[in-house]
Amino acid sequence: MPRYKHCLFAMAIAVIMQAGLGFAQEKKEMPVTSDRPGHQESAREHHGSLPFDIQTPPLPEGMSLDDVLDHAANPPPDYFPTTIHDDRVYVFTLFEKLEYRIADDDDTPDHMGWEAQGWVGRDFNKFWWKHEGEAVFDGSDKGETETDLLYSRLVTPFWNFQMGVQYANEWNTDDYEDRWSGVIGFQGLAPYKFELDNALYVSEDGDVTFACEAEYDLRITQRIVLQPLAELHVAAQDISERDMGAGITDVNLDLRLRYEIKREFAPYIGIRYRFLVGETADIAEEAGADTTHVYFMAGIRFAF
Amino acid sequence: MKDYCNQTPKVRQAFSSKLSLPYTMTRRDFLAVTGSAVMASSLWPLGQAWGADSDIAPAGNIGELNATGAGGIDLYLERRNLLIGGRSGRAIAINGSIPGPVIRMTEGKEALIRVHNLLPESTSIHWHGILLPFTMDGVPGISFPGISSGETFTYRFPVRQNGTYWYHSHTGLQEQLGHYGQLVVAPAGPDPVAYDVAHSIVLSDWTFEDPQRVLWKLKTMEGYYNFQRPTLANIQDQMQATGMTLKEVVDKRLAWDRMRMDPTDIADITGATYSYLINGQTAQENPVFTARPGQRVRLRFANASTMTFYDIRIPGLPMTVVQADGQNIQPVETDELRIAVAETYDVVVTIPDTQSSDWAYTLFAETMDRSGYARATIAPRPGMAAAVPGLRRRPMLTMADMGMMMDKDMDMKHNGHMGTKNKKDDMDMQHHMPDHGGKRRKLPTQNLPNRIRHGSAEHGPASITMARTAYRRLDYPGAGLGNDGWRVLTYSQLRALERPYGRRAPTREFDLHLTGNMHKYIWGFDGKKWSESCMIRFQYKERLRINMINDTMMSHPIHLHGMWMDLYAGGSLDDNPRKHTVIVQPAELLTVDIFADAPGQWAFHCHLLYHMEAGMFRTVAVVKDLKGGPIHAKV
Repeated sequence: MPRYKHCLFAMAIAVIMQAGLGFAQEKKEMPVTSDRPGHQESAREHHGSLPFDIQTPPLPEGMSLDDVLDHAANPPPDYFPTTIHDDRVYVFTLFEKLEYRIADDDDTPDHMGWEAQGWVGRDFNKFWWKHEGEAVFDGSDKGETETDLLYSRLVTPFWNFQMGVQYANEWNTDDYEDRWSGVIGFQGLAPYKFELDNALYVSEDGDVTFACEAEYDLRITQRIVLQPLAELHVAAQDISERDMGAGITDVNLDLRLRYEIKREFAPYIGIRYRFLVGETADIAEEAGADTTHVYFMAGIRFAF
Repeated sequence: MKDYCNQTPKVRQAFSSKLSLPYTMTRRDFLAVTGSAVMASSLWPLGQAWGADSDIAPAGNIGELNATGAGGIDLYLERRNLLIGGRSGRAIAINGSIPGPVIRMTEGKEALIRVHNLLPESTSIHWHGILLPFTMDGVPGISFPGISSGETFTYRFPVRQNGTYWYHSHTGLQEQLGHYGQLVVAPAGPDPVAYDVAHSIVLSDWTFEDPQRVLWKLKTMEGYYNFQRPTLANIQDQMQATGMTLKEVVDKRLAWDRMRMDPTDIADITGATYSYLINGQTAQENPVFTARPGQRVRLRFANASTMTFYDIRIPGLPMTVVQADGQNIQPVETDELRIAVAETYDVVVTIPDTQSSDWAYTLFAETMDRSGYARATIAPRPGMAAAVPGLRRRPMLTMADMGMMMDKDMDMKHNGHMGTKNKKDDMDMQHHMPDHGGKRRKLPTQNLPNRIRHGSAEHGPASITMARTAYRRLDYPGAGLGNDGWRVLTYSQLRALERPYGRRAPTREFDLHLTGNMHKYIWGFDGKKWSESCMIRFQYKERLRINMINDTMMSHPIHLHGMWMDLYAGGSLDDNPRKHTVIVQPAELLTVDIFADAPGQWAFHCHLLYHMEAGMFRTVAVVKDLKGGPIHAKV
């Protein structure tokens, strides 16, 4: 778009806003903070001192006024301690899900599922890890996990930009497969208080996938919380070794009801509706597998 | 910015020798002398065995010491188990108790206080609201290096003021553990306040949790202590209380959700963990302040809480407010007052004449978020009680707290309270005044702008700027107050009793935004934490104006050390009250003028302890001139 169109557009917006504000304002012009000095600008513009006498200032013993004023113009001495520890490292671990899943069909074995994340860091920069997996314990030894190791930076008040690697593995009684991927993502709180976690993965084989998880805390009472959750996976191309077709591959719709005995310790029950989509569903059907599953869950959510 | 701020430390060496401690004692020395010293200064009212941890003493066993008397006083800081509300808690006791003793001083004399640190960690005492040499101000890292474990530090300074103040630790989160007490300075001359009996009342909040653990919870789990959030179960309650329909309630809640804000976020820490104390005692323990019928009783309130604003009332007794932050004000009669963290108020109540000996009044101090209360009783003898009111419904933030006030309301307020009678004064303020550096304009002192629009700057990820417009809220009593059919004190009612020294129009001003990210619990000014900041420089002897603009949705008690803040309360220059701590309400534009007569470096911060520790803090440097570059706050 040519530059002048931008200008016209901006002017139109400005005119509309002016008109709107005109109604809202008093006759007197309202000052705008952006036109006014902060303490550093104000100090730069200020010269000279006021020539009037004041009562004897309170001076420390053995120091002249000039000593004190000189001292004041310098950073604190080296041997002084830090006044405010506002840049500490904090550590946080949250097991959002640690649950036993019972399938409503007889073909699917019951299994353990878990999902945890945590971070170590200061306010803006953190090491952030995420780990999830499931494993069957009775009968066949079978399971899979995904572990993300990320650098995370708070880029806006509600959003973290994250970058790092993922290690994923899958095992069966006589088989073990794993892969590394590069990850880039945004995690944060969207308007209406939806917790969102979006990440793009590029595997070592060059396969591109995308994962999106959204959850919401609906408070029924101060301690009972209903949490709907939607998780969606997308593949940018067919990935035959992972039985995935291009497009949306699978969707989880969860509902968990927890009781916060403490904020950081809450048992819950839940239900999951999981279905495969598109080509991925076709692949499963051809292999004779179910494309939809319903699970009943019970578990605990805890943080430390 | 770091380079911008860095300067060669020219006088470090010269200065460091001057800050060496007057003398030090070993811990062994202490134990040998403490017994006698303690008894000699007569600070154990009940003469309790000291150091005996086996039998746990209740909190609130407050003594009294005269720091301007002969020989000075000794304060002993130690970790100690005390019974708080009947339960044992690990406190930092001053002379065996929380709160510490009431320290008395007399104006015009020299205070001498030896602080003995028996704690396993460094500590400090800050004399809140007291004008003194900056090396005596007690802020580790700014005034001095702190008082190391096992050491004694001697505070010595001339007392140049009178009134009710308080003192507390300025080290880490020690204040949460009981490291505070009241300070009362008697006037050198006659007291303009007439009263028959006076009582010291220290309000505070106590948790049995480790304060660092509390901060960790605030940092990692938003709303951890709020158990009054909007829920499905309380929709009905909200409809009944507000008269709104179901649709209106749902719409309103969705509007807050859309902004990712919680309208019930009134207090970060609540009764879910706090015990609320008056002189170290819970509401159930019911401390009693005695008086006789017909007596004028002066109540000296100091809010030594770390995080709790209290709404104080005495049902049946109107209160005449005579002092705010230790400064005499023109008496105002009211029924309820909100006392912010770190503020002090003196009120006088008159006990009605009666023949009966069974009268009693409840002193009710409800927390701002209505999650609990502290309580005491005014009665002729201990053990008495009166009816205790119920907690009111917790307030919710409104659109006005986001700066969305109707213009209609604004105009009414303007016409009703500011008026136009001072047009002439205002004109006078426009005159130019010659000065060394060129022409300087004196700033107006009346009819200041009523509101200000926020520019497009968002102050980065450490700030969630909610209010697009900030405006004067001097008449607004605060969230949850003013709708009960009784009078509530507001800042617009505060008028200095006498014209304080050094009043003149300021010649320089700047804006300071109060900012925070409540989601991540990062707090600061202009979007920066203390560790990222440069010092705010005041020029020695200048009259300076700071326009504080609260971009957040919480009330912040802002405290300046070493100098008064003359609060623009809508009146004239002569009677604006002097404050050491001012509440800046959500979306408020609040103006203070400062006479920078105290050379040195000082602290300036939000007095909510956990906001302060999360970065809402600045070092103020009162320097000779502003020609040098900015100074980084952190070494």
